[in-house]
Parts: sequence; C-alpha cells; structure tokens
Amino acid sequence: MNDLSMTVRGKDRYKSGVMEYKKMGYWEPDYEPKDTDIIALFRVTPQDGVDPIEASAAVAGESSTATWTVVWTDRLTAAEKYRAKCYRVDPVPNSPGQYFAYIAYDLDLFENGSIANLSASIIGNVFGFKPLKALRLEDMRLPVAYVKTFQGPATGIVVERERMDKFGRPLLGATVKPKLGLSGRNYGRVVYEALKGGLDFTKDDENINSQPFMHWRERFLYCMEAVNKAQAASGEIKGTYLNVTAGTMEDMYERAEFAKQLGSVIIMIDLVIGYTAIQSMAKWARRNDMILHLHRAGHSTYTRQRNHGVSFRVIAKWMRLAGVDHIHAGTVVGKLEGDPATTRGYYDICREDFNPAKLEHGVFFDQNWASLNKLMPVASGGIHAGQMHQLLDHLGEDVILQFGGGTIGHPMGIQAGATANRVALEAMILARNEGRDYLHEGPEILAKAAATCTPLKAALEVWKDVTFNYESTDMPDYAPTASVSM
Amino acid sequence: MRITQGAFSFLPDLTDEQISRQVQYCLGKGWAVNIEFTDDPHPRNNFWEMWGLPMFDLRDAAGVMMELNECRKVYGDRYIRMSAFDSSHGWESLRLSFIVNRPKDEPGFRLERHEVDGRNIRYTTTSYAVDRPEGQRYR
Amino acid sequence: MDLDVVPMTGNVNLREELEAVGIEEILTQLDRELIGLKPVKTRIREIASLLLIERIRKRMGLTSEVPTLHMSFTGNPGTGKTTVALRIASILHRLGFVRRGQVVSVTRDELVGQYIGHTAPKTKEILKKAMGGVLFIDEAYYLHRPDNERDYGQEAIEILLQVMESQREDLVVILAGYGDRMEKFFGSNPGFRSRIAHHIDFPDYADDELLAIAELMLGDMNYRFSAAAREAFVRYITLRKAQPLFSNARSIRNALDRMRLRQASRLVADLDRVLSAEDIMSLEASDVLASRVFANGSSPANYG
Repeated sequence: MNDLSMTVRGKDRYKSGVMEYKKMGYWEPDYEPKDTDIIALFRVTPQDGVDPIEASAAVAGESSTATWTVVWTDRLTAAEKYRAKCYRVDPVPNSPGQYFAYIAYDLDLFENGSIANLSASIIGNVFGFKPLKALRLEDMRLPVAYVKTFQGPATGIVVERERMDKFGRPLLGATVKPKLGLSGRNYGRVVYEALKGGLDFTKDDENINSQPFMHWRERFLYCMEAVNKAQAASGEIKGTYLNVTAGTMEDMYERAEFAKQLGSVIIMIDLVIGYTAIQSMAKWARRNDMILHLHRAGHSTYTRQRNHGVSFRVIAKWMRLAGVDHIHAGTVVGKLEGDPATTRGYYDICREDFNPAKLEHGVFFDQNWASLNKLMPVASGGIHAGQMHQLLDHLGEDVILQFGGGTIGHPMGIQAGATANRVALEAMILARNEGRDYLHEGPEILAKAAATCTPLKAALEVWKDVTFNYESTDMPDYAPTASVSM
Repeated sequence: MRITQGAFSFLPDLTDEQISRQVQYCLGKGWAVNIEFTDDPHPRNNFWEMWGLPMFDLRDAAGVMMELNECRKVYGDRYIRMSAFDSSHGWESLRLSFIVNRPKDEPGFRLERHEVDGRNIRYTTTSYAVDRPEGQRYR
Repeated sequence: MDLDVVPMTGNVNLREELEAVGIEEILTQLDRELIGLKPVKTRIREIASLLLIERIRKRMGLTSEVPTLHMSFTGNPGTGKTTVALRIASILHRLGFVRRGQVVSVTRDELVGQYIGHTAPKTKEILKKAMGGVLFIDEAYYLHRPDNERDYGQEAIEILLQVMESQREDLVVILAGYGDRMEKFFGSNPGFRSRIAHHIDFPDYADDELLAIAELMLGDMNYRFSAAAREAFVRYITLRKAQPLFSNARSIRNALDRMRLRQASRLVADLDRVLSAEDIMSLEASDVLASRVFANGSSPANYG
C-alpha cells in the first residue's frame, strides 16, 4: 500500500490549476515524524473509486495548508514545513473500503495551550470533504513539547484524594434523580440522604441548570446544607458536583463563585459548553482550589459510530490537556456504550503518565504525559452494588463509581442504597487486598458482607438480574473482542 | 455515632488478623506504613500524631502489628489509623488509610450555622471531643 | 507459622512432600557452594527432616504448637556461617516456618544505642525488618558486657528474649560467634540458652578443604594455579594457619586477591610479551611465593 512519494517538486509544483493532493506534498511515505510533531490517525472511507492514498493525502491537505487548487501565495511561506504529511496508509483489518491514515503535523501549525485551535485544525474542515464517505479521528499523539503548554487537570487524582481524605478505594457518587422537577429543598434531601448513607459525592445531572422548577441558587444553598450536615454526621469530607453550566461565561463564573462562597469542594460543567469555556473553567478551578467535574454531555453524537466522527479517546486526551479533573469514561457493564478493551484504553489515557501504544485497546501511539496531572475517570449509568467485583476488575481503584438509580432506587430508601454500595465496595477492596480472587469469588464476598448489612442484602436481591448485554458499536480493530455479558 | 473515615469504616471493626493482611498488602507493594493517632477526628484534621516514623523496608506485617500493639497500650482510648505511603513518581502520597482503633464512645461533631448576608449560611464543624482539653477527651 | 496449606488426611508420600517444597535443591546448592563442613551439612539435613515431619504433623492435626527454631552457630570466622544462615532461611521459608525468608544480618552496633532511650527503638527497628524472616546476630556475645552493669546491651537482650519467646511464629533468631565466647555468653544469659533449639558447630577447614576452596574460588573467576603454584599454595596454607588472625575461607579469598594483584603486575612488567589466554588465567608459583607468609620472622601485621 505504501508507495513511493509522488510529490511534484520545483517549478511545476506551483503551476496554476488543480493538482492531486498526493502530488502536492501531502503524501510523503518516506517522512519520519519528528518528536515534536503532532500525529493524527484517521479512519478514512473514500468514496467508491477514490484512491485511498489520494483520499488520505486530501485529509492531510485539508487539515493543514491546502485548498482545492494551487495558490501562488504558498510561495511566500515555508510551505513544505506547514504541509501536514500523510506518511502511512494501512487497510483496516476486516473492514473493506476503510483505511488508517497516519498524518504528521508540524508543531508550528498550532497555538500553545488551545484545544480550540488544535481541534479547529485537525477536525475543523475535513469531515465534510466530498471525496470521502466517512472520516473518523481515531487517535492523536501529542508531543511533550505541546503537552507542556497546557495547564492540565486543575486538581488531579492525587490531590483530589488528599483533599477528600479518601485513599485506597474508588470514590462513590450518585446522580440526583429524577433529574428534572425537584424543588431545591427536595433536591437537597436526596443529596443529604445519599451522602449520609455513605457516598462521597452526589451529582447534578447534565441538564440541571436553572429551570422554572428550581433556580440554581436554591439548589446550591440546599445542597450545601446537605453536604455540611452529612459531613458532620459522618466525620468524612463530602461533596456535591454543583453544575455551573449556563448560557454565558459570565453566568458560569457567577455560579462558580457562589459555589465557592458556600464552601463547595467541587463544581461541574458539561462538554457542550465548548472547549474554550472548559479551559476557562479549568483555569478558574485551579485558581480557586476547586475540583472540576466534566459531564461528557453530547459526545455520543460524534464518538459512537465506528466509521465517522471523533473517537472518545481523542476527546479524553483533549480534556486532560484542557484541565478538567473528572470525566465520564464508561462503565463496561452499565447501560451506556462501552466495549471493555476500548474503555480500558480511555481509562489509561486519563490515569497514566505514559501510555504505550496498545492496538488491542485502540491506543495507536505512545503518549507521554510529561507529569501532567491525572484525570479521574467516572463510571456512571446503569450500575449497581451486585456488580462491584466486575467494576473493580474492569475499572481499577482510581475511579468514581456513580450509582444513581442504584442508590436512589433502593427499596429501603436512599441512605440504605448508599450504604449498600459503600459496604459492597469496602468488602470487595478488603478481599482484593487480602489476595483473594475477588472477580470469581465476588458474589460470595458480597453475600458474606450482606449477612451483616441488610441494605446490601436488599440491593443484591432487587437488582440481581439487571444486565445490559448489547453488541458494542465501537471496538478495537486489532483484536477479537466480544461485548461483555455479565 | 461512628466516624466513617478511612477505607473500611463501613465494615465491622477489623480483627488484628484482617489488619495484618491489609498491612501485608501495603508492604508487598513497597509502601511504608505509618501508625497515626488522634483525639480530634475532625474531617479536616489531616495531621494526626505520628507513632514514630513511617516504617520503611519492612517485609512482614508482624513488625507493624508489634508497633500497633505498643501504640494501643498508650493511646488505646483514641482513634488510631494505618496510613500507607507510596513514594513512586507521579503518586508520592497515601495509597491506603484505614482506622484500626476507636474510642469506646464516639461523640461525633456539632454543626454550627452562622446566618450571614441574605440566605447564606457559614457552616462550622466542631468535634464534641475537643470541648475538653487534649488528653482528656475520651475518658 | 504460615501453614495455610490444605489439612491432610490419610497416608503421606514423603517423597512427594519433599519434592513439593523443594528443599532438596537447597541442600544440593549448599553441598555445591560449601566445601567440606560434613557435620554442619548433616545437622542441617537433620533439622530439615525434623521440620518436614513437623509440618506434616501439623497438617494432620497432631500438633498445634509453634516449634522453637532459634539457633546458635558457633565456629571461627570464615567457616560458612552466613552462607548457611541464608540457606536455612530458604529452607524455613519453603517449609512455611517463616513467612518471607529474608535474612537480616546485624552486630551489636545495630542493636544497641549510645544513650538512654536509644536502644529500644534501635532493636525494635531491626526486629521489625527481620519479621517474617531470620535475624542473624554475628558475635552475639558483644551484646553482653559483664564488666559494665549499666551497659545498654542488656536492654537489647531483654527485648530480644521477649520477642524470641512471644513471637516464635514471626521470626527466627540465629546467634553466631566463636565457640568459647558463645559458651560463656550462654552461661551468663541462660535465657538465651533455653530458647535455642539447635546448636550447630562449624569446624575449621582442613588443609585439603582450604585448597579445594581456593580452586573453587579461582575457577569462578576464571583463574587457575599452575602445578608449581598449586604446590606453593599448599605450603602457604600450612604456614598461614599457624599464624594469628587466620579466618578460614575469608583468609583464602584475601590471599587469592593479593596473588591476582601480583600476577597482574608480573604480566604488565613485560609489555613486549604476547600473551595467551592461558598466560592470563594462570597464577604462577612466584605469585604465591612472594607472600610475606614465606618470609621468616615477618611482622604479623600483614599476612600477604
């Protein structure tokens, strides 16, 4: 597949007219990416009859310096440096008509510390390009030189744990339900019950902002009463993610300031506020000792389809650069999309200082994070206490497990629901540390813990048959995987 | 009330055998275990008193248990916890922390509310135990 | 004792038991790395057999006691006490009588402090590191200074005795040193004597054993004696043993190191010579005979 260079050189290169992208210098099979280059991996699906090399070169061209025709003004620039170079095109295993295109971009093409600029360059233009049926940004290698221009997570996993005084186990959370309609006072009740029962965090849902049924200030005031009361009742630090998402930056800052004034340890934002707003809030969070939770609202519109859009692993990388502290990254066993190997790849991107390329997890490049803070992944959506051993096995220790329905839907009440989750978690960690084969003995371990904890017994009984077994739509291409059935 | 700080507070109090296994897990990971005690378990009281230094280079939990028993002899009426420190790059902080001893009676905390401007309230959590002088809090 | 193994019922196949724990290979290793020492090796085999049976009895529910395993190793320096301690620790570990199997080797300085309140933390620090393994105290008699009643060594002794008694499942203590001095030490500290289950005496090496040790050491370093050098070294051994401060295998190692030095000087003295591998590996009689041991009336300060 990887042919020789076809680049036209010298005078002919700049002759007016239309020239194939692969001849304009966007296909350079001999190019060896520099340590400082940004590398993007695209899944390219050319229209029928379009040469995959030409299609890939076009992606390189359209995401860097090219336009549809030759322009003489190129000759006023160091054009060869600025041209993105597609240096490798591989057919995608078992997917006829799809190709992986590796494209290298010189660092000078990007502005320091700007996800807006990075994303505008890489995905700004090319996704609607007519000669392509579909295009997906699968992964990116971000050079250390570029990583170092970003703040990174405002708090990071280690400092978050120190601030919360919680070590050695996943943190527990719950999203307040129903997500719409509760008054501030009723809402605070749910928060209090869940925190007192044993959760570390509660959470606003993505679309809880400031609606007729509950003004944001009401929510904040009642929630902080609940947090403080639960803190005094347990002797533990507690938090509730106050969603400051709003229509303007001014509104968001106002809400964040109020949360800080009330003594909240954490606020949250939605992905839909945009990359620049996220970076601004991350800066604010660092200045104000605030943990910043990100709800990846809306991401599935462009991350879920295997052949088009942007992989969530790229979004996760961008969000680690942008500086949020928490990000929803999948549960494997819950109700939302998530193949185990792919999800493992996301978690590694959030939590490790170095990600070695691991095709079976969908990670295409070595990625050095150069000591950028670690980002705490959040597992949320359709999980319950009976899955604790599987969750621990798939997701590890540095994760927030959010049991919304699995707490609030408990037959004995919210406190009991929270206690069931906490007891199940502590029993599982205890067993793991003792060296037991907790994955296989999980049900036994839970049953034993339930013998001295009625709420856990009830939880195991109610949700014993709940599973979400559907085929994943997004899986790694390089290893046979099956969707888990638990 | 029962203070639920630490990794295992929702379980029945750990036996020495169970504590020893957790300590062995930490030693196996190469973490240094520290014994800490306090008579003020305020959630933001990070710095409990240290019973000696974190124990580096230990192979077996029996050494830590020996110190825990010594510590209990002196401060058995207070909170005692085990904290495990990981010195590896990128972490350099605690990896596990759990309570191994509690006073017979845990009085808990008072929540004080100061009404300030508008509907704002300033909250203060105070350990009931600190109403009495240090050293006399759990007699 | 960490015998989290399946309880036993029915008959026992001793061979299978022995192979399962793999102590035979440790004993073979000991045979290989230590020349001679017949009585020592026999004692270790006896102890290993005893422990194997003890382990089986335990699993059959015939005993529940934790056996006393503390030992004393007596003998002159360089007779292999430290090496044997390492192997004993492995045997104890494989049989499940210690949980980790490390050996922490100390002398008085690491246990005893310089001022009031210094000793207990020092001793405990060492004990904590040795938990799960073997604490090897070399020249243990220095812990006790009969001439000084207020010596801090006594404090260390008391802590040691207490742990040796109450934490038998957590560590094994080996006290080592010269035979006569150990005897005196036990005489004035009967607490130790009563807590020691196994005494092993390490005899001095015979001349031919010392020669075998030398050749083993040289072989490991890819050197060898020429025939004349070998003959000279036999004489060296006889002479050196008669002189003070002889410490068996350790003296042999030191002597070989100096001979290698002389060999190198000899070779380098003639830069025009073309050397074969044989030349470079070979120690000649002159390398041995230059030792001061051969010079009559030499000062005892330097036994090159």
